[in-house]
Amino acid sequence: MALGKIIAVHSYKGGTGKTLLSLNLAATLVKRGKKVCLLDLDFRAPSLSIILKIEKAECWLNDYLNGTCGIEKVLINLSERFQNKGEFFVGLANPATEAIRDISAKDRKWEMRALGRLLALRNSLLNDRGFDYLIFDTSPGLQYSSINAIVGADLVIVATTLDRSDVDGTRRMLGELYELFEKKTEIVLNKALLDVSSKSKREEVQSKIQEMYNAPLLGVIPCFCDVLRAEGNIIFVHEKPEHPLTKILDEIADKIETMP
Amino acid sequence: MDNQAFGKKPLQILEKIRENLERLNEKMEVMIELQKHTKKDTQMIPEAPLDVMTLLSMPDHLRKTAMTVCRLGRATAEEIAQQTHRARAVESAYLNQLVIMGYLKKERKGRKAYFFVDREGQG
Repeated sequence: MALGKIIAVHSYKGGTGKTLLSLNLAATLVKRGKKVCLLDLDFRAPSLSIILKIEKAECWLNDYLNGTCGIEKVLINLSERFQNKGEFFVGLANPATEAIRDISAKDRKWEMRALGRLLALRNSLLNDRGFDYLIFDTSPGLQYSSINAIVGADLVIVATTLDRSDVDGTRRMLGELYELFEKKTEIVLNKALLDVSSKSKREEVQSKIQEMYNAPLLGVIPCFCDVLRAEGNIIFVHEKPEHPLTKILDEIADKIETMP
Repeated sequence: MDNQAFGKKPLQILEKIRENLERLNEKMEVMIELQKHTKKDTQMIPEAPLDVMTLLSMPDHLRKTAMTVCRLGRATAEEIAQQTHRARAVESAYLNQLVIMGYLKKERKGRKAYFFVDREGQG
């Protein structure tokens, strides 16, 4: 029984590249012919709708978690736009200020129900609709929506930078969050100013990072000025197939596809 | 033929005794586990929400059980034990403790007891 996989992309601090990573990872998997669903669970600072330039949705993920609509009304099919072998769906968080305010004021009982609805996606999307991958883009830090996503995932990808407070916080989360939920966790080091030009240099960096976090390293993304210059307007793996970022995402996808 | 029939009875009795001993053993394990972990501060909280922050603050042994119930949705102690690779009797003890704490609901169907998180019924 080859069932799909749920991946949560999380980080301790904001601005570590979660959305860049989840969107480009999703696009990479779609390129490989997979059926992928990317869900924006960053309800505090929704960004996927802006990056993808989708202003209106029939329903938002907020509505699904509120129990006022089914998931099929939330999903938007972008397969045509991407024109790849696979299928690409997204579910968006409502970017309106009152929606952010509304979701920030939910109580524990609501969060418990939201967890139930998130867990139900395994059945409705992976088993019934045959998705190969669900990717959750989350809010940074210890937030209800993010921890719900982590609990619902098979694999947690933690985006981190070498900023000291980020390293420290990430290490704490590894020991006090992901491990407590017994989640398979992999690190992606982003905005790295390390020399990864040769194989031996890459290996050196790899062992250094693994030692630092005491966790497996899924990939290292150097600091690309092109990414900053793009101002969030380019999906690199889709529009720049020769860009080094595309190659790195390909390697990351290779590793994910061969994971048990 | 007669010999065989004669030999069967004691065997059956022994088998019965063995079964009973096993059952007794299971019950003792449950009692030991409950004593180990049921501290005085475990109060009866009717219907406490089993949210992720609650899961995080639970002792490890209970979190493992509660997480498995969350994942399976509704399960017997036997099914939970298959996932956690712990003894059925141990899981049964933890599950009942989670019921007492108000995090899980228990429902009997015939000889089986099912445990689940009551997400819709609360508040």
